[in-house]
Amino acid sequence: MPTLKIDHELCTECRMCYVACRELNLNAVYVAAEPLHRLEIDPARCLFPGCTACLPYCPAPGSMVEAETGRSMVPPPQDIHRWSLKGKMR
Amino acid sequence: MHPILEEFLNDWVWPTAPGAGGAKFRLRLTEEKCIPGWQGLVTSTVRELEAGQGAGEDWKRRLALEGYAAEGVQFSIKQMSAQLMSISLEDQARWIDIQRMRARQVWDECKHSKLHVDSLSGHGWIKRERELMNDVEANFQPLSSYFGQGMMFAHIHPLARNAQHYFIEAGAYLTICIYERMVDDRLVRHQHLSQKAEELMHFMEGKYQIDTYCTTPATQQIVEQTLDWVLGFFQGRV
Repeated sequence: MPTLKIDHELCTECRMCYVACRELNLNAVYVAAEPLHRLEIDPARCLFPGCTACLPYCPAPGSMVEAETGRSMVPPPQDIHRWSLKGKMR
Repeated sequence: MHPILEEFLNDWVWPTAPGAGGAKFRLRLTEEKCIPGWQGLVTSTVRELEAGQGAGEDWKRRLALEGYAAEGVQFSIKQMSAQLMSISLEDQARWIDIQRMRARQVWDECKHSKLHVDSLSGHGWIKRERELMNDVEANFQPLSSYFGQGMMFAHIHPLARNAQHYFIEAGAYLTICIYERMVDDRLVRHQHLSQKAEELMHFMEGKYQIDTYCTTPATQQIVEQTLDWVLGFFQGRV
């Protein structure tokens, strides 16, 4: 199963993913206990690709990637994130 | 539709969280009110830059002295500060995420101003920041919030400001995208490009909060009323 990870070179630490994940009570995004207190994703809690709730609110292109392939998930690619307001809620 | 706006819509506006309770409301606001406003903003910005570039170098100085985003940063700082202070103690837990976002944005907006001053001083258009206070052009501020009387208006509810986050911050992002394509001045580009991610993040706050929290007629009405006020205010300027 593919997993999500944060690219710290591109992440702005705005915490929109943290807020979105916590709102759903998944709490997969957490503040790591390291000197920079950066955000990380716990693969044991993250439901990606079943859940993509954080992706449409991330404003930093390329900052969330599929860990196994390095493929950017921001902005959300249509084959992964299929919830769009455009015309219909697919 | 301008390709910059089309790209913005496809990448950042249409994607939403599965089952987001306020999404249909956001879709209606987007299609009925925001897109016509954004289209007008894009068109007028492109036209303004084309006219300026055709008239020599002074347009950069004139635009710079008018302020970053017409000093909408002042508008935002006051609203952020007001909202941080105006949420009652019993509501603090409920709106804590919004308050955290607002607190961060106070810093973001201050940085916008600082970068703007860097650009002005880097060009030699001012020697010290203090000079700006003596220059009527640099105090260009048509917004009624400048002297404070408007700053509480939009805070009849903690969600009200999302109308501005969703519409105006998107406009700032779109403007920066246009500058990125049309302006080659090193300092002007620096000032704008460094804000690109932040403006998009502020837009995302509005998008997220509308999707997540604006799920009832009462909360939707608050946002729509504020958006109507914002659109009416900016209609004369775009």
